[in-house]
Amino acid sequence: MVAIDPALLTNILLIGLSGTLICLAVHFIPVGGAPAAMAQATGIGTGTVELAAGSGLVGLITASYMYAYEPLANIPLVMAAGAMGSMVMLASTMFAGSLIYAYGVAVPFASAQVKKDPITGDRQDTYISKGTQGQGLPTICFVSGVVGAALGGAGGGLIYFVLMDLYKPLIALTSAFAVAGVFTMGVMYVNSVIPSYGVGGTIEGVHDPKFRRVVGKDVITSFFVSILCGLLAVLIAGGMSI
Amino acid sequence: MSDIKERSPNQLLLFGIIGGLLGIYLTYLLPFAGDKIGGNPAILLRTIAPTFGALGAICAVMWGADAVRRVAKYGLGTGVPSIGQIAMGMGIIAAMFGLAIVKTIVLAGPIVALVTASIIGFIIGWFAQHVIKMKIPVMIRCMTEIAASGTIIIIGFSAAVAGNFEFANIVTLVFDNGVILAVFWVGAVAMLHPFNACLGPDEKQKRLLYLAGSTGAITMAIIGIAAIMTLGTSGILTLFIGIILWIVFYKKFWDEVYHDASSVVGTGLIPKTEA
Repeated sequence: MVAIDPALLTNILLIGLSGTLICLAVHFIPVGGAPAAMAQATGIGTGTVELAAGSGLVGLITASYMYAYEPLANIPLVMAAGAMGSMVMLASTMFAGSLIYAYGVAVPFASAQVKKDPITGDRQDTYISKGTQGQGLPTICFVSGVVGAALGGAGGGLIYFVLMDLYKPLIALTSAFAVAGVFTMGVMYVNSVIPSYGVGGTIEGVHDPKFRRVVGKDVITSFFVSILCGLLAVLIAGGMSI
Repeated sequence: MSDIKERSPNQLLLFGIIGGLLGIYLTYLLPFAGDKIGGNPAILLRTIAPTFGALGAICAVMWGADAVRRVAKYGLGTGVPSIGQIAMGMGIIAAMFGLAIVKTIVLAGPIVALVTASIIGFIIGWFAQHVIKMKIPVMIRCMTEIAASGTIIIIGFSAAVAGNFEFANIVTLVFDNGVILAVFWVGAVAMLHPFNACLGPDEKQKRLLYLAGSTGAITMAIIGIAAIMTLGTSGILTLFIGIILWIVFYKKFWDEVYHDASSVVGTGLIPKTEA
């Protein structure tokens, strides 16, 4: 076992914080699920977990690249690298989706949750097809999605950085990369599924009334679960030092 | 659906835990017994031992698939795949913790992992039920079961690739070369696919369990390919047994589908010209 000291407590807290960031991020991403895939709801046409994981894992790759190849990499740099990777991934996903919605399905982009787009001020309700809950990705959804991806990627980068610092002195460097990466992936999956249960599958982004309703309890859940993960991560380090 | 005889959750729980742990422990105990005997039996036991890890994991896949079925019946709102992924997320954290924390008392590893996974699953289930308020009565129990089966799946398949479940061994033979990603993803799909494929008003447990057996077996075959890389002969054994089991279970699933369908008709080839 490892002795309790402030550095370890900080590590546990940081892992808890990063899990919470990932959970918060999911609420920003416009997830439409199956209805959106048929252009009957606003958002990207796939599940929460897939999007959060897809953008989060790309963030993890860019964060680990920064960690491995930049000798001066500190927490903000690794987090920024993760955020950048996630943002690029999600923005390109949304852009490609938008192209298909606009030129393939031929729907005007409109959100059913707000009357006017909070960013552009364009009217939404007249463009919504009957019997649907909006279509495509209006500006607010796109911006919200990019912000969410940044939070998720930063969270992934943070947890990876903390774990690498924990494991690097104990095992071979390549093994430390693998163990930290896989552990980060585990925490990321847990924290992207928890909010998806909270939002019930679909959310349009920060302007959705659902956002305010569920974000509190999801973040609390995620924080406690991530703290537990952090505790386990620190204890694993104790088990490695034979 | 009371007239259809189903395996109770407790039966499957025992099947998953006992079968899974037995398989996992055999990977460690068989070579150990072989060393006591010595000679040719030692080589034989050493070769067949890793295969048992994958067989144990198949038991856990069937248990986990049934737990997914019980909880996903209520409609999670996010699709069935999410629960397979959270299971593997919890499972991998618990597996790494359990195997690493025991240091030299290797035999305790899987049990510690199982208990840890149950605790994480219970906590997430409790939060989902009482904080997120999902209003699914079986949530806590099923989350616990899913996490526990997820960890057995991960340890079982990892042991099949690494030869046994010592943490240092698993890190070099499963983590370093990236096989863990295959274990993670294919294991998750093995567990979530059966209900995802069978769900609907006419969903039956028997059919689902056979499909779970077949997804578990095909995962075993894939793990066998990875094990050829790390262990050689044992991997070939795992691959072949996996393929044979897959054919057996898939045939049984096929028969169930034919049995449950009201009729099976051929639609013929697509006509070349429009009628």
